[in-house]
Amino acid sequence: MRVLLPLPLALLLVGCTALPVDVEGTFDRASGGTLVVGVSEHPPWVHVDDEGRVTGSEADLITSFADSIYADVEWTAGPESVLADKVRRGEVDVVVGGLTASSPWMSSMALTRPYQTVAGEKMVMGVRLGENELLVNLERHLAREFGEIQ
Amino acid sequence: MSTEEQVLQKAVRLEWITLATTAVNVTLVGLVAGQSQAMRAAWLEDMLAFLPPIAFLIAVRIIRRPPSGQFPYGYHRAIGVGHLVAATALLFMGGLLLFTSTSGLIAQERPPIGITVLFGHDIWAGWLMVAVMAVSGVAPVILGRMKLKLAEQLHDKLLRADADMLKADWTTALATIIGVLGIGVGLWWMDAAAAIVVSLSIVWDGVTNLKAAVGDLVDERAMRFDDSEPHFLIDAAEARAHTFPWVADARARVRDQGHVFHVELFVVPHRGQDPTVSELDRLRRSVESIDWKLHDVVIVPVPSLTGMP
Repeated sequence: MRVLLPLPLALLLVGCTALPVDVEGTFDRASGGTLVVGVSEHPPWVHVDDEGRVTGSEADLITSFADSIYADVEWTAGPESVLADKVRRGEVDVVVGGLTASSPWMSSMALTRPYQTVAGEKMVMGVRLGENELLVNLERHLAREFGEIQ
Repeated sequence: MSTEEQVLQKAVRLEWITLATTAVNVTLVGLVAGQSQAMRAAWLEDMLAFLPPIAFLIAVRIIRRPPSGQFPYGYHRAIGVGHLVAATALLFMGGLLLFTSTSGLIAQERPPIGITVLFGHDIWAGWLMVAVMAVSGVAPVILGRMKLKLAEQLHDKLLRADADMLKADWTTALATIIGVLGIGVGLWWMDAAAAIVVSLSIVWDGVTNLKAAVGDLVDERAMRFDDSEPHFLIDAAEARAHTFPWVADARARVRDQGHVFHVELFVVPHRGQDPTVSELDRLRRSVESIDWKLHDVVIVPVPSLTGMP
């Protein structure tokens, strides 16, 4: 086992920025392509009007994230439970709709680190499980938007 | 101060150091654990790692008590009870890790690891986990090796179980590093797979120690501290008896009381050479002088050894 010790150290030197990588390559596919986002009605974070236009603070955050990776957004509206199922199956990449850190969807999606606290609730978004590169990049974008990091 | 007393003091000091480093590890690992199966299991195990040192520190206090009317053999077995506790903790820890990682693998859980913001800089939390695990694995390697040495000198199986626990600690840390890096390169099953490999070895150590602890508590013949073979002092006691001219044959029944042995030495005198009380006493003192571990020696003169196992 001791032979294996230099391996992580070497990886540490090479890959400080290269890791993590997605299991299914979602981030690479979405960059310069299409990011599929599931939205559930939950003002003021997400509002879907009669024509299917998506607005709200989280819709704006997703749009600016998509812009930063040169991606178009494909919105899929539905209730939280249906979106949880879809993200687990990989039919949507990200789920937004005023989710909080205490959401019951932990086993269906990876929750981002809280990007903001509103009335004691920690606001998060959901990402397909295993797609850690997408998760990390979305978290970075949110942290930047809220001035936590440069 | 006798040598074994010095070794014991050293062991006590090592146990306090172990408790301190374990406390630091539990805090660090708890802070960075996140949702990684292996990290959460590592945290639980660090909690279990408190048990063997605590059992040892309690046991060494208890064995110092002198024998009393109520406890005529003294309290040496406290070490054996501590060994049972440590062995159970080890088995429980291995079983727990095996269960969580196997069910994670079957459910195809893909552990999410995001970023952490430290002092205004973002870093992938996986790197933090790797760093914490690398740091927390160092002390168990060193302490475990030192304890194994003392365990042999003291004939202390509790200390040996404790050394096994430390080995379990650092191998789990290594598995976690491999698992987290596996997640990093997109191999979601690596976390669980590495944990399963390590948990199997911990379960094995737990079973071995549990067998030994139970064996000693039901008076199995005294074995080496690692239970690899019968203890050489059994033969030594019998051989010493044979050096007495009046002894025709001898058989020692030796049970492990913890640090020390109780010896019942059955001796068959040559025909017509029944030993006097002072001859029996001389034999007893002679056997006791072989080693400090032969703590309580009883000489039983018998006409023959037939029927003894």
